[in-house]
Amino acid sequence: MAQEASSSTSSKTISLKTGDGEIFEIEASAAKQMKTVQRLIDDLGDDITIPLHNVFSKELPKIIEYYKKDITGEITKDFEAEFVKDLNDDEVKVLFLAANYLDANKLFEFLSQNIADRLESKSVEYVRKYFGVENDFTPEEESKLREERAWSFRGIKEDE
Amino acid sequence: MKKKKKEKTMQMVINLPSELIIEILLRLPVKSLTRFKSVCKSWFSIISHSNFANSHFQITAATHILTISATSPLKFQSIDFEINHHSVLLNHNFLLPRPYSYFQIKGSCRGFICLYCYIDIWIWNPSNGIHKQIPLSPLGSELLEYHLRHLYGFGYDPSRDDYMVVLLSYDPRANFSSHLEFFSLRDNMWNEIEDTHSAYLTDFGNPRAGSFFNGAIHWVAERYGSSVNVIVVFDLMERKLFEMPLPDGFDHDLEDFGLWIFGEFLSLWVKDYPNNTIEIWVMKEYKLHSSWTKTLVICANGGIPFYKPVCRTKSGDIIGKDHYRLVKYNDKGQLLEYLHIDRYVDDLAMYTESLFSLPGEL
Repeated sequence: MAQEASSSTSSKTISLKTGDGEIFEIEASAAKQMKTVQRLIDDLGDDITIPLHNVFSKELPKIIEYYKKDITGEITKDFEAEFVKDLNDDEVKVLFLAANYLDANKLFEFLSQNIADRLESKSVEYVRKYFGVENDFTPEEESKLREERAWSFRGIKEDE
Repeated sequence: MKKKKKEKTMQMVINLPSELIIEILLRLPVKSLTRFKSVCKSWFSIISHSNFANSHFQITAATHILTISATSPLKFQSIDFEINHHSVLLNHNFLLPRPYSYFQIKGSCRGFICLYCYIDIWIWNPSNGIHKQIPLSPLGSELLEYHLRHLYGFGYDPSRDDYMVVLLSYDPRANFSSHLEFFSLRDNMWNEIEDTHSAYLTDFGNPRAGSFFNGAIHWVAERYGSSVNVIVVFDLMERKLFEMPLPDGFDHDLEDFGLWIFGEFLSLWVKDYPNNTIEIWVMKEYKLHSSWTKTLVICANGGIPFYKPVCRTKSGDIIGKDHYRLVKYNDKGQLLEYLHIDRYVDDLAMYTESLFSLPGEL
């Protein structure tokens, strides 16, 4: 049940400036859900433009979209599915980092689960590339590990 | 582990710091985590660590239904009835080469199943394959011919980080003298609790497993010599046996009702044959007798809705078993869906995925 706030105090908007210099507006109640933003507001006041050095114009609108839905209590499983549907694995990763930086807990948990869901059936190689992790096992060590845990590799395509 | 990989393309590979990677890992199922131990050495250590297993269990804890069919060929199956109907055959090679033909699940706790196999007992984590064979207790062995009367239970004592198998038995040849034995996984031995208490009779057509709740194992039974049905409780930390009365006016035959864990509550289910319903009673406040409340009556068109409830899903639905199906009812008693399972399922139980291993083993 979205109630359009008509009074000026409850529909206060905050200006956010991304690392690449773009400015976006967000409602104060939504800003409250992002603890980093709220802390900056507490320090700098809510009349100035809040600088977010580590968030960029590609991600911030998406994050704002999420919290717009959150403050009206409209976040459903369907909305969340739709929200990430067109994002590829790298885009989700960037969004996840941004949610972490903004200390936006609800979005952070949702994206953690979404990334986990995406990685669930992936190969070891894919996961290494995704996280930029070097394989420091010797070939012998690695094949021993795979042998001991062969059941966990069942049904997993090696090139995905 | 954190090495920045320089890509030739314009896009930089963005690397997540390890705390963030762990947040993602904590939400993966055990099969994926086991595979990802091969990613690199630090992931291997993180995933193998007991702190990770604990956090993972708190956060993720995916549940499945384990079914066991002992009619040849022996089949252990894991069914996901919460999200999809996906089922997987489980490897039961750890049981070889003994000629097991009888299986009863005596408890499920922190991802471990306590499997009573008539000649011995196994503690087994289906998610990671960790297993341990336990001998029958002295009395479990001596009174083997009366095993259908035995009350077994399985639980966890957090104060010692220990798992316990409990057997409450009585000797019909010796004045129904009652015995309480427990096996501590950590001590790796059976002990008997010296305590004079009554014998507790079951409806032995149907051996019951104890329900582990709030650190204690609970059974329903008839106190010998009284013809009164009670809830018998064994507190694993205190190592004491006591009784809790059934709700006032609860006047059913032992074969028509049972105890189970309904989400966060101790609960009783009752088969009401004349009305073709199942009643669900919930103890809203544990150990407060007056808090027993009949919360739900489930009807079915023609016949009892199910023969035993199995568990409650995260969304509050009830999963039960009738002759040859798993059934799911919502919290208003409406049938949501069902799934045909093996006709000859010897026993089934819910278990949670976990990375836990047993005390003293790695």
